[in-house]
Amino acid sequence: MAGLIAARPRVSAKAYFGAVALATALGIAAAMLLRPAFAHTVLELTGLESVPQASADSFYAQRVQPLFQAHCIGCHGSERQKGGLRLDSFAATQRGGKHGAVAVAGDIKGSSLFERITLPATDDRAMPPSGKTPMNNDEITVIRLWIASGASGTLPARAVKGAPRLVAPVTIPELNPSAVVKKRAPLAARVAQLRGRFPGIVEYESRDSADLVVNATLKHDAFGDSDLRALAPLGARIVAADLSGTAVTDAAAPLLAAMPVLRSLRLMRTKTTDATVTALAGSKTLKVLAVGKASPEALAPLRRKGVRIYEDADGG
Amino acid sequence: MRQTETVQQMLERLDRQAQTRRQFVGWGAGGLGAFFMNTAMAAQQPTTSTGLSFRRDPSTPLSVLPPQFPAKAKRVIYLHMGGAPSQLELFDHKPLLAKFDGHDCPQSFLKGKRFAFIRGVPKMLGPQFPFHQTGKNGTWISDRLPHTEKLIDDLCLIKSMKTDQFNHAPAQLLVQTGDARTGHASLGSWVTYGLGTENQNLPGFIVLASSGPGPTANAGKPLWGSGFLPSVYQGVECRSAGEPVLYLNNPHDVSRASRRQVLDAVDAINHHTEQEFGNPETVARIAQYELAYRMQVEASEAMDIKREPAAVLARYGAEPGKTSYANNCLVARRLAERGVRFIQLYHWGWDSHGSPSDEGINIGFVNRCKETDQPTAALLQDLKERGLLEDTLVIWGGEFGRTPMEDNHGGSTEVSKYIGRDHHTAAFTVWMTGAGVRTGMVHGETDDMGYEVVKDPVEVRDLHATILYLLGFDYQKLNYPYQGLDQKLTGVKPARIVSEILA
Amino acid sequence: MADEAVTPKPLHVRVWDAPTRLFHWTIVTLVFVSWLSADQGYMKVHLCSGLALLALLLFRIGWGLVGSTTARFSDFLHPPRTVIGYVKGLVGGEKHLYAGHNPAGGLMVVAMIVVLLAQALTGLFANDGLHFSGPLALLISDDVSTWITGLHSLIFNAILLLVWCHVVAVGFYLFVKGDNLVKAMITGRKPHTHVPEAVRIAFTRSYIALLMLLLVLTAGGAAWFMIQGGAFL
Repeated sequence: MAGLIAARPRVSAKAYFGAVALATALGIAAAMLLRPAFAHTVLELTGLESVPQASADSFYAQRVQPLFQAHCIGCHGSERQKGGLRLDSFAATQRGGKHGAVAVAGDIKGSSLFERITLPATDDRAMPPSGKTPMNNDEITVIRLWIASGASGTLPARAVKGAPRLVAPVTIPELNPSAVVKKRAPLAARVAQLRGRFPGIVEYESRDSADLVVNATLKHDAFGDSDLRALAPLGARIVAADLSGTAVTDAAAPLLAAMPVLRSLRLMRTKTTDATVTALAGSKTLKVLAVGKASPEALAPLRRKGVRIYEDADGG
Repeated sequence: MRQTETVQQMLERLDRQAQTRRQFVGWGAGGLGAFFMNTAMAAQQPTTSTGLSFRRDPSTPLSVLPPQFPAKAKRVIYLHMGGAPSQLELFDHKPLLAKFDGHDCPQSFLKGKRFAFIRGVPKMLGPQFPFHQTGKNGTWISDRLPHTEKLIDDLCLIKSMKTDQFNHAPAQLLVQTGDARTGHASLGSWVTYGLGTENQNLPGFIVLASSGPGPTANAGKPLWGSGFLPSVYQGVECRSAGEPVLYLNNPHDVSRASRRQVLDAVDAINHHTEQEFGNPETVARIAQYELAYRMQVEASEAMDIKREPAAVLARYGAEPGKTSYANNCLVARRLAERGVRFIQLYHWGWDSHGSPSDEGINIGFVNRCKETDQPTAALLQDLKERGLLEDTLVIWGGEFGRTPMEDNHGGSTEVSKYIGRDHHTAAFTVWMTGAGVRTGMVHGETDDMGYEVVKDPVEVRDLHATILYLLGFDYQKLNYPYQGLDQKLTGVKPARIVSEILA
Repeated sequence: MADEAVTPKPLHVRVWDAPTRLFHWTIVTLVFVSWLSADQGYMKVHLCSGLALLALLLFRIGWGLVGSTTARFSDFLHPPRTVIGYVKGLVGGEKHLYAGHNPAGGLMVVAMIVVLLAQALTGLFANDGLHFSGPLALLISDDVSTWITGLHSLIFNAILLLVWCHVVAVGFYLFVKGDNLVKAMITGRKPHTHVPEAVRIAFTRSYIALLMLLLVLTAGGAAWFMIQGGAFL
């Protein structure tokens, strides 16, 4: 043995690897202390901690998660974990990031998530950072309500009071011409025939609908009860009828009352009376009613149902 | 002596006489091209590449077509306040701006920006009228609109409108036609193109203009023009005093019957021309003559506000025989009842630069408010009572906003006794109400000085997309192929439907 | 023994050349710098250390072809069977002497270079979802860049694992086998008892290393120039 090498006390392999195991465990423990998010990951992986789940009807799932999805997970999700934080699952929100929990149950001041999203846009630490769409007041309110109510994954949405209206993004359905033709098929021939007989009075509600709207106002007196009766075969599909200023009378009431999907009916400046209004009281679908003269008693049942009622103004 | 011949025979004779060898060869060669053009142009309103067809019988170009999907709004009344009303004196309450009144404008507001008239460093100008809160939601509003504010809970205020045009004509064109240059179809044209109109005896798109004493439409008739759409969809300017449409009525000694004969003759010639050349505009011309004929009766009645009871006239402040915004509002309500699809009102004179007096916030602006507040409120109330607000969309607004800084008239040192603000593109206010619009809400916010939008910006094309959505159209599907592009109201940039304001 | 003039055997044998040693410790530093700078958000530093790592790795590959014997891949790359055989022998207490990297060590070198290279290369195309992205990110679509960023994250874990393995292995040699590899990588010398008897190491001159580095930097500069569309910034 060359004497110039310091004689190192040799350690047995067992002892060495034992020491390595210990050091590694200590290292992981230190990392868990320094990074709580990592701690949670480890505990969940080893099964020592259950992965918190959110229920589908929870305020979190319905209101909070979509917000995180829209504004946050680009940098705090599966692809990137800025600041060690993920927000792409309920469990992740509970884990927090590099500096600990971001949403502390019931503690808005102590929740750095809330602090960051309410910083002025000019602040470097504001979230989402400049260049990304900031959260608007409604969205911030949702987060605040969530944290204040315990940052829970199970509290149902209806239990959280004062949440701003959920604005659904606008989706316009694709027009499927063949499906429309099919929908319209049962009455198509009748519709064509009656449109020929009453030009400009009967029209489909929209290009993708089989429902019909009737507008006879421009015919004035030339349109009366018999004409409405002629349209009766289409009654099952009429959703809106404007008969203002026409010659229809109470005789039309049974027809109108029988329309199963009628949502809007206008009868201003007609000779209809309370009798028609009463006949309509049973409608399950009527939402808007404009009448000539009608007594409050006749209108009461409809008002109670929440139907919007308009009465004939004098003159005009 | 030549026998009298019918018009048809005369035309056929002229045709025969007109044929020369050159023409024969020309027709032969051009014939194939003409054949192609004829088949290609046979559909006057061609189907666009995205599948919505707006094809109609060419003789009834304004016949009703259903919207793409079920929609609440069936008609539009657009109240355009030309010249740009000052949002800081009407709807956008900025108490901090009041504190900075008279201070020099900070550089950050001026750097890199272009202004119409501001030069150098202007002074900040605080709100010139007091604000207060009103309505169920404590909406802030100035004291200039005492009538309109009673209906504040029915309005949806959009305080975060933005534009990129800082001068009147291009800005008005942008707001009305979707593009800052002429040549594009106006909103009313698109709507009548897409939906037609219910009353075939009145134009589908009617324009009613009024103004303060100052200048009127900066961009002129292109604001209600049809652009590349067939000309039958252009707006028809009507007047609320005197004859509703100039040159509509027959001259004194021409009876309706003799007018009919003339029209029949002209129709025949036009039909012949249409057959020979296949120009769809000829058919449009025929349709317009016929419309004018029908209008002679119906327009006069529709626009005759003397038929309204005195109480109604008083509510609007309308005076029959004058041209006024009040009269126009009342006419608008009557037209809405009579199945007109798009009613466009203009009231000019809001350009409150501060000089001359009619452009002063302390004088002209006050007058504009007085001229428009009561009639606007009366119109809304009227529509509401008649249940017409269920399916009428009402829009109010200008073409841009006004600056939080005082207009210093190009740095002039003259002291003006009139106060004014310059044009401001970064933020302005528009309100909507009616079919499908959420009521009693404020959408969007500007910063504490009222300079930039800080929340929920709405570009002009976003507003357009939303309006078309309320009418039942996907703004991408309501298009018209022209110059190799499926032209849209919203232009080529993607637009966002402002879902937050939908009921 | 033959009666040659017995020159006193040197107590230490030079095994590692300067470029290899410099390379090793610079890499260690750069890996830590890269890790720290990314963690704390100093992305400009991260970019610089990443590029430096890339340059050095490319240098090492070149040096592995023309460098000193112990630096060459041909010296320490062994087929898998040999590596397994070596490890088995190690466990069994056999003693084999190697001047440069032993077969297991050779495997570690290759693994390290491959993984670090992958990390540097993915880093070129990565983006942080905000304002910072690698210099080549503009050549690919956002979606691909984001996917590559995911890889960059993943490979970091692989690096951590490899570093752990490496440190444990070196510690094993140091504490269990009495072989101070750390000192060797610093001084370049091993005790003569730790190298094979008839060892022959040819040392390539250091200036060749410098030329190699210059070559890498020039190639990198040219690539940068081309990507920037004919300008340097």
